[in-house]
Amino acid sequence: MPRFAIHNREDNVGVAIEDIRAGDEAQGVYIEDRSMGPVIKALEDIPLGHKIALRDIKAGERVIKYGRVIGVATRDIKVGEHVHIHNVKSIKWGNLARR
Amino acid sequence: MAGKYPTIKAYVRPDGSVGIRNHVVIIPVDDLSNTAALGVAKLIRGTVAIPHPYGRLQFGRDLNLLFHILSGTGTNPNVYGAIVIGIEDNWANKVADGIAKTGKPVYVFGIEGNGDLRTIEMASRKAKELVQEASEVQRTEVDLTGIQFSIKCGESDTTSGLASNPALGYTVDKLVDLGNTVMFGETSELTGGEDIVAGRISDPALRNKFMRIYNEYVSIIESEGVDLLGSQPTEGNIKGGLSTIEEKALGNIQKLGTRPITCVADYLDPVPRNAGLCFVNTSSAAAEAITLFAAKGSVLHFFTTGQGNLVGHPVIPVIKISANPKTIKAMSEHIDVDVSDLLELKVSLTEAGERIFNYALRVMNGRLTAAEVLQHDEFSPIKLYISA
Repeated sequence: MPRFAIHNREDNVGVAIEDIRAGDEAQGVYIEDRSMGPVIKALEDIPLGHKIALRDIKAGERVIKYGRVIGVATRDIKVGEHVHIHNVKSIKWGNLARR
Repeated sequence: MAGKYPTIKAYVRPDGSVGIRNHVVIIPVDDLSNTAALGVAKLIRGTVAIPHPYGRLQFGRDLNLLFHILSGTGTNPNVYGAIVIGIEDNWANKVADGIAKTGKPVYVFGIEGNGDLRTIEMASRKAKELVQEASEVQRTEVDLTGIQFSIKCGESDTTSGLASNPALGYTVDKLVDLGNTVMFGETSELTGGEDIVAGRISDPALRNKFMRIYNEYVSIIESEGVDLLGSQPTEGNIKGGLSTIEEKALGNIQKLGTRPITCVADYLDPVPRNAGLCFVNTSSAAAEAITLFAAKGSVLHFFTTGQGNLVGHPVIPVIKISANPKTIKAMSEHIDVDVSDLLELKVSLTEAGERIFNYALRVMNGRLTAAEVLQHDEFSPIKLYISA
């Protein structure tokens, strides 16, 4: 059963559709045709609705979801890591990582 | 043989507009008149008061917007008739004149020279008559076309972008194809997806108007020297997994469906009944946006939520739709339509969209929403700038 969803094939993050625990080998699914995507080992807990890195993302690299830029990585992110305000910031508005 | 349109049982108003509720609304023109308006609503069963903190020493576009919202709320097809109460007659008459144009009964009461108690008595006597008249108006069968709806999401999270918003988008396409109006807004929350919205407006003049409204809104925010840190995304958004305004916006616009945007309305512009998908300049605060949509004629609002928003409105039903199984469990009394099985990919987008559409038909026919029963009557006029 898929445990995270991928909006677009160009995305470098997926979204947990149930809680994923650190160490889990989680199955991904592509939203557009519901075909199975990659299996990724979660390095951290990824709560329902939160993002998991689908590949290594370097600091300064763009974070892609819906095939679109949703922000930029503020530090190196490893495949399987939790992607959120501690390692990604908006390009348009604000730097949530400062909080 | 089935007709071209699904039918609903609704209230046809003197101006031909179609309402799905039959309220008698008590409208205070200003903050000082809230007490009298609430007094009437307390005495007369079947009335609803819409207290608010404004209406004194406003000027220019801001004052016109308040008149637009107060008159528009009385004009809303869900309203049978209205009582307008103001400290002074002049502005109260202005609000009432806007309502009277639709052929509805409306009565004005000024408090100066009478005091609260005499005003409450006089207004209550009229309100009693209106409620009894309204109680005899019957629902009749009408086609589901030429009716105004509105959509907004709130306390969003990534489940909104994954499931509840795309499912609502299916419903929106269906309502637009039937020749209805569906309004959306949340100007600042389009940031990061504003080019996608603009790209769906084929008329160049309308597209320019949209970009002018969007840029003006963002420049006002930026002129305060802030970057919305701590406001956008909200604390609830972040808890739900949304990291940036761009991510929030891209999830937000999933609910717009796939049809072209054929109408762009600034604060004071009227919205026609068969305008299709229509952008309305609004703040992204739930109650402010719904208050403006209702003032422009929306009779039913669709509200998707991830982390659980509670918002309602005094004259239009708000249907809450969620795909977040944790929220649906923890806040079950607030959620009308559960599409968490779409998040879990157990049903198709069409199935989830049809579920929302069919629920909406029931609400149009009279079923009360969670927000109506739980008395969420938020009425929040947008204020544009300082008063004099």
